[in-house]
Amino acid sequence: MRGKGAELQVKLRIQRFDPAVGDRRLVPYDVEVPEWATLLDVLDIVKDTVDGSLSFRKSCRMMICGSCGMRMDGRAILACRERMKPIVNAGHVPTISPMGNMPIIKDLVVDMGPFWQKIRQMKPWLDPGLAESPEKENLHSQAAMEPIQKEALCVMCGCCVSECNSMESDPEFLGPAALAKGFRLVGDPRDAKGIERLEGYSGEHGIWDCTRCYFCNERCPKGVDPRDAIAKLGAEAIGQGIDRDPGARHANWFVHSAKTTGWLRETELVPKTQGLVETIKQTKFALSLARRGKVPTPFPPHVAKDVNESRSLYDIVKKQGRSGAAGIVQGEKALRKLEH
Amino acid sequence: MLADQDPGPRRVAYYKGCLASLSTKELDISTRALAPKLGLELAELESVTCCGAGDIHEAEPDYYLHLNARILAYAQAEGCDTLMTICNVCTLNLRQADFQLKNDEHLRSRINENLETVGAPPYSGSVDVQHFLWMIAEGEGYEKLKEVAHRGLKGLKIAPFYGCQILRPSKLLGVDDPDAPHTLEAVIDACGGKAIDYPAKVKCCGFPIIQAREDVALGELIQPIEQAMERGADAMVTPCPLCHLSLDAWQQKLEKQTGRTFDMPIMHLSQLVGVAAGLADSELKFKRHVVSMQPVLDKIEA
Ligand code: SF4
Ligand code: SF4
Ligand code: FES
Repeated sequence: MRGKGAELQVKLRIQRFDPAVGDRRLVPYDVEVPEWATLLDVLDIVKDTVDGSLSFRKSCRMMICGSCGMRMDGRAILACRERMKPIVNAGHVPTISPMGNMPIIKDLVVDMGPFWQKIRQMKPWLDPGLAESPEKENLHSQAAMEPIQKEALCVMCGCCVSECNSMESDPEFLGPAALAKGFRLVGDPRDAKGIERLEGYSGEHGIWDCTRCYFCNERCPKGVDPRDAIAKLGAEAIGQGIDRDPGARHANWFVHSAKTTGWLRETELVPKTQGLVETIKQTKFALSLARRGKVPTPFPPHVAKDVNESRSLYDIVKKQGRSGAAGIVQGEKALRKLEH
Repeated sequence: MLADQDPGPRRVAYYKGCLASLSTKELDISTRALAPKLGLELAELESVTCCGAGDIHEAEPDYYLHLNARILAYAQAEGCDTLMTICNVCTLNLRQADFQLKNDEHLRSRINENLETVGAPPYSGSVDVQHFLWMIAEGEGYEKLKEVAHRGLKGLKIAPFYGCQILRPSKLLGVDDPDAPHTLEAVIDACGGKAIDYPAKVKCCGFPIIQAREDVALGELIQPIEQAMERGADAMVTPCPLCHLSLDAWQQKLEKQTGRTFDMPIMHLSQLVGVAAGLADSELKFKRHVVSMQPVLDKIEA
């Protein structure tokens, strides 16, 4: 293969880590590769011609097995998806390191154990809730599968998890990949355990732990948009009345504010989200904010002009019945026009 | 520019959002004071509501679309082609809804019918949602900014903090490179400050979950404050009132939790430019901040 066609001189730095020695080093490499090489091709050539001990994961080489997740200049990517030519042409020397939010085993290989553990917590199989197998196959329309088509694209590479801000702060957070899987199951017409699943995903480290940093949407190489999947789970949970979590109560208070005064009723948000006991415990903090005018008085309420319009819109929306995930899915037709 | 060529101020619809109407009022006040100096005439939208933050999008997504369509419709009815925001979360919510309405005729006509039923104007898709930051960090706005910021920041070290929803998802926002943004740095530079670089400037401040998951949120909040402090920042600046509130007001909780002192003053974008432009105290309202801005102001006076 090499020697034929145009060649490219690639310089890069790879973070090496040997568990036996324990220190992390950035090692520079400089190799000649075919013009069409991806980062994965470059790593193969480094391993074949420079240092056979370089460790990384790979399998399909075509963006479908999800094995080759790693970081380039701090961004989680699939190595087999990144072409080197534009990077070399820009005169850039990229730094390659392992994904974040997962322990490093060696070089670019991370321990995906906790990742798979969370996928398992989602009970990632369809449960049609039937006592016995039906005689005939049970056909579903293409349209019925539409709501989960994005989530079904996930290749479980972990790129979304790598930079998840909530998981960095709470390692037990189920995280974007597992929760996207969760919606893939909740939204599947062949599954009968939606309510149980939504209850299960609404725990302390579940849906409402997400801080909406949107790193997962930004990083996902398959266009799954895990943050949107989490919003769909939240919408389904609230639609089913599974809304005891402070996060769900927080979300509901915004809806209530918009239809009553138009603007967020900010001062009441705290007791509505956290409950009375917690609010009283926070009195000292609240007073320190009040001294700076940061606790606006709820009386008289700050009411938008023509607020009756937003009130009536709420009633119409409820009547038209696009509640739950359907309200988000309807916007995806347009979003598909955005290049990923 | 020659006087006879001056086209007069640019009239834009102004959406201030919830927090800048309430607990972070100082951001609205400083934006209004600054706008004419930057050649902007702000058309106030009196009938609009909350954009729903991420919350209504999650709890009642169809209602989120209607509320945002209504905001865009009132901006259009004001005869404006630009809707200016001063909040990251408003920016993403409005831009996402706007993109969906512009690119799905079926969705737009159903929502317009509903708007009509309640007596609101329809939205035909002629408005562009722009954050204040983008309007002053590039092109003509940037030239105006350089003129206005004559008083300068006297080389103060400023840590730019972008937060999330002005950078990601970049396919809906798209002005800055989400991993190497430059607009805040450009503004700091034009104001005569020195921008500090640090990794957490593009990360989350924790605000969306600060009430529901305080510990998780504080674990996020500490990173930018700590890094800015370690790199010797005199103050931080953010384009978002939510980030402003968590960085400024929740800092005391970090201090309590860690037993450390941060005392990191936090400015909103309009206040940073306002200081450089020599706005009066009454227009900057630093007295409403929890962390004192006095050390910063003293350095500029000195
Ligand atoms: S959601 Fe995207 S980034 Fe996350 S594991 Fe699946 S394919 Fe990878
Ligand atoms: S949006 Fe939520 S799930 Fe996605 S990376 Fe951020 S915190 Fe994690
Ligand atoms: S090697 Fe399979 S996704 Fe890259």
